[in-house]
Amino acid sequence: MKNILFYISSLLLINTACNLTQTVEIELPDYENQVIVECYLIPNEPFTALITQSASFFAPFPTDAEAFLDQTLLDGVTVRISFDDETVELNNQAFFNPFTGKLANYLSTKRVPARFNEPFTIEIITPNNEVATAETYIPSRVPIDSVVVEFAEQDTLARALTYWTDNPDEANFYRRILAVGTLDSIEVDFTLDDRLVDSTKLVVGTGFDYVEGDTIINIIYHLTEDHYNFVNSVFNADNANGNPFGQPSTIQPNLRTESNSVIGIFTGLSFEESTLIVEK
Amino acid sequence: MKKKLLLCASIFLMALSLHAQETFTISGTISDADNGETLIGASILAVEQGQGTVTNEYGFYSISLPAGDSVKLVFSYVGFQSVVQNLVMNEDKKIDIELGQGVQLEEVVVKANSYQEQVNSTQMSVEALTVREAKLLPALLGEVDILRTLQLKPGIPSGTEGQTGLFVRGGAADQNLIVLDEAIVYNPNHLFGFFSTFNADAVKDLRLYKGGFPAQYGGRLSSVIDVKLKEGNKKKFSGAGGIGLISSRLTLEGPIQKDKSSFIVSGRRTYVDIFTNAINRSNEGNEDFEQIPAYFFYDLNTKINYELGEKDRIFVSGYFGRDAFNFDSDFFNFNFNWGNATGTARWNHVFNPRLFANTTFTYSDYQYNITNRVTGFSFEVGSKIRDTNFKTDFYYNLSDQHTLRFGAGATYHQFNVGRLQAGSDDGDVSFSAGQDFDGTEFGAYISDEWIAGDRLTINGGLRLSGFINDGTTHFGIEPRFASKFSLNPNLSLKASYARMYQYVHLISNAGLALPTDVWYPSSANVKPQISDQVAIGASFALGDQFLFTNEYYYKWLDNQIDFIDGAQLFANDDLEEEFAFGDGYAYGAEFSIEKSQGKLQGWIGYTLALIRRGNFRGVKQDIMEGRYFAPRYDRRHDISVVATYQINRRLTASATWVFGSGDLAWLPSGRFTFQDIPGGAFEPTIPIYGDRNTFRLPDYHRLDVGLVIKLFPKWGESDITVSVYNAYDRRNAYFIFLEPEVNPVAIGDQILEIPDRIVARQQSLFPIIPSATWNFKF
Repeated sequence: MKNILFYISSLLLINTACNLTQTVEIELPDYENQVIVECYLIPNEPFTALITQSASFFAPFPTDAEAFLDQTLLDGVTVRISFDDETVELNNQAFFNPFTGKLANYLSTKRVPARFNEPFTIEIITPNNEVATAETYIPSRVPIDSVVVEFAEQDTLARALTYWTDNPDEANFYRRILAVGTLDSIEVDFTLDDRLVDSTKLVVGTGFDYVEGDTIINIIYHLTEDHYNFVNSVFNADNANGNPFGQPSTIQPNLRTESNSVIGIFTGLSFEESTLIVEK
Repeated sequence: MKKKLLLCASIFLMALSLHAQETFTISGTISDADNGETLIGASILAVEQGQGTVTNEYGFYSISLPAGDSVKLVFSYVGFQSVVQNLVMNEDKKIDIELGQGVQLEEVVVKANSYQEQVNSTQMSVEALTVREAKLLPALLGEVDILRTLQLKPGIPSGTEGQTGLFVRGGAADQNLIVLDEAIVYNPNHLFGFFSTFNADAVKDLRLYKGGFPAQYGGRLSSVIDVKLKEGNKKKFSGAGGIGLISSRLTLEGPIQKDKSSFIVSGRRTYVDIFTNAINRSNEGNEDFEQIPAYFFYDLNTKINYELGEKDRIFVSGYFGRDAFNFDSDFFNFNFNWGNATGTARWNHVFNPRLFANTTFTYSDYQYNITNRVTGFSFEVGSKIRDTNFKTDFYYNLSDQHTLRFGAGATYHQFNVGRLQAGSDDGDVSFSAGQDFDGTEFGAYISDEWIAGDRLTINGGLRLSGFINDGTTHFGIEPRFASKFSLNPNLSLKASYARMYQYVHLISNAGLALPTDVWYPSSANVKPQISDQVAIGASFALGDQFLFTNEYYYKWLDNQIDFIDGAQLFANDDLEEEFAFGDGYAYGAEFSIEKSQGKLQGWIGYTLALIRRGNFRGVKQDIMEGRYFAPRYDRRHDISVVATYQINRRLTASATWVFGSGDLAWLPSGRFTFQDIPGGAFEPTIPIYGDRNTFRLPDYHRLDVGLVIKLFPKWGESDITVSVYNAYDRRNAYFIFLEPEVNPVAIGDQILEIPDRIVARQQSLFPIIPSATWNFKF
C-alpha cells in the first residue's frame, strides 16, 4: 500500500523527503481481553490446541520469551473434543513441535483419527466459565498433480506452477503455501475457493523469482469453509491496518459463545506437500 | 372514466385560455454579446409591476404581464452590463437580448440584484459556481478543479484530503447525481479521486443542489450537480489553454456559421508518463533499476450547436476521458484503465412564447478494465455501467402567477458487474465470474412555481419514478415542496421538503473513491434507497455588499446499503449476500456570508452537522448487531474562508482557509497472537477491530494562497497563476496506522520477531506545494 501512496506522491511531483509520516500519541477505545483459540485437527497427529489471550492494542509487550509465553498463553481452560461416541480432554501442557515449528499449550496423547468429512465437536470452558462450542470436519486430501518449474526465456530465473484437480461437485476451499529452503521462508501464501473455477484443473503460480538449486516446498491445504473465512478475516484485519484503501474486518470465528469473549477456529486440516529442487 | 378525463382536460385548457387572455407574454433568450453563449439564471425584471423571472438552464425566459401596461424591462446578469427596454404590452413579444461585459455604466451595472435573486428565489440549498470564480482561487498543483472548489461551500465537506468526493448533508459519495450536459457521469474522478473529470475551460455553469430538489431531478439521494458545457463562440474563432505542472490543456471554439452555429473542442492531458518513460528508456540494461509504471489521464470535450430557426436549436456534445496505468516488464504486462464516455443530443423547441421544450437523448458509459499477462496465462477483470436515456422537459409559463415544469424520461441501464476471465493460454485452467443485469429506470414529474402573493411563492411538485429489473418493479412517489416568504425585499424565509429515490448503488466500502467501485442495480432483494429531507432557512441581503444565508436541515435515510465485515466484493457472483440494509439520519446547520462586489470578494461558510447510520441487517450477518454508528465522513465542524482581492488590473490575490473536525477512522482496539497452521507465518499482532469508526483523526486545517498575474500580450489575454497549497505546511492526517516495533526473540530453535512496543503513526499526503500555471486566451 505504501508503494501506491509513494507512487501517487511521485506522480504529483511531491518531494517524498518531506517526512510525511509522523509518530503521534492517540487513545484507542477501551478493550476487554478475549480468549483466542487455534485448534487444528491433523490426521494421525496428537490433539493439540493453542489457547492464548488477547490484549489491548497498546498494552506493553513482555520483555523476553518466557514472559511473552507467560503473558500470552492462557491456563485453566477445559478443552474437550468429541467424535463418534468418544471424548478427548486435552491437558494444559506446553508442547513444541520441532517439525512444524508450532506451539501448543493443550495436548492429548491421543491422535486424531483419519476420518474425513465426519463431524468433530469441541467444547471449551474458559477460566471465567464462558462456554464456547464449534463443530467441524477434516476435509479430504487433495493430491498435488504436479509442480512445474519453468524458466523465463533467455533468463536464469524460474517460476513454479502447482497444479491440482478440483472436485466441481462440491464447494472447495484451498490455501497454497510456498516456501523456499525451509518452512520459515514463506514466499507465497494464497487462499482461493473454487466458486469461480470453470475447469477441473487448478493452478497457482509464482513470479519468476527462483534460481537453479533453490529448494521449493509446496503445500496445498484443503480447508473447511469456516477455516477459509476465519483465515481471510485474519489476513484482512492485518492488511487493513496501514492501508487507507483496505477493508477493516472483524475476525470471523467458528467458535460460538453467548458473549463475545472467545475468538477462534476449530477445524480439520488436510494437506499435500511437495518438495523439489529447481533444475534447468 | 375516459370521458371524465377528457372533460377535466377540456375545462383545464379552457381555464388556461381564459387566463391567457388577460396577459401578454414576452419571451426569448439572453446571451453573452461577446461569444453568443446563452446565460443561465439571467434576470428579467418588470420594474413597475414588480414581477420578474430568470432564464432557465437553456437561456430561455418567458414572462407574462398584464395587457395594456407600459413596461420597463431590465435584463441583467452578474458582471454584465444591464439592458433596459420600454414596451407596451399589446401583444406577445419575442425579445432576444445580448448582454455585454464592456465598460459598465453606474446606473445599469448589476450589483445587488444577484443577491436579490437569491433572496427572492424559492429554491434554497443551492450552490452556484462560476469557472471565473474557481480560476481565481489557489489550486492543488495548479489544476483548477470545480469539484474541489465546491467543497469550499457550506454543507459539502470533502472526504479524505485531496479527494474530490462530495459528502453532501450526510450523504455518501455515490448519492450525488452528477450530470454533464444532462448525461450522468458515474465516476467524476481521475487519479483515485485527486482530480475531477471536469476541465474548467469547457465548463459554462455548475449548480449543486443540496436539498429542496426541483422535481425534474431524481435518481440520487443527496445532491444534484448539474454541469453545463460551453456551447462555443458564435461570434469569432477563439482559443484558450494553459501549461501546468502536471498537465496542459487547450480549448478551441468558434462559429460554424456566424450567430447560428458554433463548435467547441477542449482537451487536457497529463504528461508525467512522458518523463517516466524517458527515465525508463535511459535505464534500459541497468539491472539495478526498477521500471517506473506509466500513468496518465486525459479528457476530451466537444460540442456543436446549431440554430435551425427562430424556434429550434439542436446541440450535440460529448465527453471522453480515460486514466491509464501501464507496467511492462520482461515477465508480465499489466494494464489498468478506466474512464467515462458521455454523449448528449438535445433539441430545444419554442412552441409559443409560453411553452418551451427540451428533448434530450443521452448516453453514459463508465468502465474499468484490468488486464495482466504473464507468460502462458492471462487475467482480465472489469466492470461497466452503460446508460441510454431519453427524456423530454417542458417549461410552461401558465400565467403571471404560475410557471409549470413537467416532463418524463426513461433510462435503460446495462450493468456488467465483476467480470473476471483468467486462465492458461492452453485452456486447461480457467476462472470466470461476472453478472450482467439490465434495468429500466423511468420518471415523470410536474411542478408549479406559484406566486401566491406579494410575499409568498410556493413551488410544489411531484415526481413518480420506478425501476424494473428482472421482473421486479419498484415504484417511488417523490413529493417536492419549496416555499419562500418575503419579510421585506431583503429578507426572506424559506422552507423545503424533498423525497428522493435511488435505484442504482455503488459497491464500495473503502471510503475513498476507487476506479474499481462498481454500480449495482436495485433488485428483488436490494430495495431502492430513499431519503426525506426537510430544510428551513433565511436569506438576507445586506445592501449590495453582503448576503447572509442560514439553513437547518434534517434528513432521514432508508434502505441504505453497507457491507458486512469481511465482505468479498471482488469477483463475487453472489454480491447481494455481502450487503446489509439499514437506515440513517443526518442533521445540521449551515451559515454563510458572501460578498461578490468590490475588490475584496469571497465567502465564509460554517457547517455544524451530525450523521448516523445503523440498523444494518444482512443475509449472512448484521453490522454491529444493528447498532448505529457514524460514517467516516461524519464531520462535526466545517469552516471555509475564501477571499479574492484585486490589487490592480494586473494582480489578483486569493486565499482559502479550511478547517474541519477530523474524519473518523476504524482502528483496532485489541490484538492477538496468531500462530497459524504449519507453514503459515507466525503473526504476533493481529488487530482486533471492534465497533466501526470510533476514532477521530486530528482536526484538519489548511491555508492555500494564490496570485494571478495578468499579462497583456497583443494577441489576446494571458496570465500566470501561482498557487501555494498548504501554505503553512500543516501535516494533516491522511490516515493513521498502528505499527509494532519488533525485537527478535529465541523460542526453541526459532527466532521470532516479537514486538517491543506499538506506535501510532500518522501518514500525511500533501506538504506545502507551490505551483505555477501559464494560461492564455486568444
